[in-house]
Amino acid sequence: MSIEPITGRYLTVTIEGAPRRIYFEEAGQGRPVICLHTAGADTRQWRHLMNDEEITASNRLIAFDMPWHGKSLPPEGFETQEYLLTTEAYIETVLAVIDGLALDRPVLAGCSMGGRIALQLAALHPHRFSGFIAIEASDFQPAWYDIDWFHRPDAHGGEMGAALVSANISPYAPVAERWNTLWMFMQSGPGVFRGDLSFYTRDDSLIPRLPTIDTGATPVHIIVGAYDLTCTPEDAERTARAIPGATLAVMDELGHFPMSEHPEGFRPFFVEALEKMPRTAAKAA
Amino acid sequence: MIDTFKQIQTRLEATPHLQRLGRLFSETVLIEIDGNEYYLSFEKGRIVSVVEGPSRKTPWRFALRTDAEALQKFWQLRPEPGFHDIFGLVKIGRGRIDGDILSLVKNLRFFKDVLGLARGKEELAA
Repeated sequence: MSIEPITGRYLTVTIEGAPRRIYFEEAGQGRPVICLHTAGADTRQWRHLMNDEEITASNRLIAFDMPWHGKSLPPEGFETQEYLLTTEAYIETVLAVIDGLALDRPVLAGCSMGGRIALQLAALHPHRFSGFIAIEASDFQPAWYDIDWFHRPDAHGGEMGAALVSANISPYAPVAERWNTLWMFMQSGPGVFRGDLSFYTRDDSLIPRLPTIDTGATPVHIIVGAYDLTCTPEDAERTARAIPGATLAVMDELGHFPMSEHPEGFRPFFVEALEKMPRTAAKAA
Repeated sequence: MIDTFKQIQTRLEATPHLQRLGRLFSETVLIEIDGNEYYLSFEKGRIVSVVEGPSRKTPWRFALRTDAEALQKFWQLRPEPGFHDIFGLVKIGRGRIDGDILSLVKNLRFFKDVLGLARGKEELAA
């Protein structure tokens, strides 16, 4: 028998003028590190790092389920809404969680769409953070698939989404973690993955903002897996070149969900990234 | 190459969970390799025939067009990036998917796992 050190609670904040009940998990102590999940998934992607005693000895890892994801409910009235994530709502959500938890300049670590929004926040709200770890993150990706495939009444969007994103998982990933990673996509609510992908594949507003990021004030470290078909190493390299002072690490044996699909393979890259982030006098209330 | 597809057919017979996943899939799929045609006919999650073309008379639901070297790499236990998935082949310009893509996507796990039954057995394709 074992009990993990991860604890989960709920936080209610106002986003887009209405309350959102947000589920968050945390583990560790010291410097706060906000961890953002990918499209179509939830905080479980971060569970391996949150159970890593060496990392949590001096880092307070906090992951939350975006509204509509995991254990965070969609907003009241969702039954008549079309879920389409926007850059603005995503930024508002991340900042609301930071305010709600009274975090002082956390490190922001995000994967995929979480990495995209991390770079948006690096450009637009750098003073709220101490540094940015952008995983499988790039300036912009048009879809190489039809996002409407994942929300239709005659097929199971979760099963289709999982089958599609399996293309982004490395063959080096342990089988059990490959399937644990895919399970989250299988469980995703109807239309949620599509709504996330709408943000990820249609909003190119980050491109002109990249050169404005001041990595002297807030470092940006980008990590990318060679088996990622969605955000390829070439995409990440192009993005890193556009940000003066950004650093880049390429993981030869990992894919688009490194912290989830291959925790052991990802760990040294995440530790390296944390070491690049400044240790400010951050405190958590 | 026809031997590899027949081996996949045999292995599918011994893989009940894939037959269950494909129980609603009864279609013919064209695999075109360096211009050579292979028609895999599925019936309720089983491959009932593997026929080498060319054929102008065989209707198919969707097609995967690629080359032998790409498929050999795809079938390695740990393919290099891009060769590890049929959509990877498309993305790196070594494959094309035509026809009723939605039919493929609805049965994507089934089809990819069936094609992957030759994985790690690349010598079969020699």
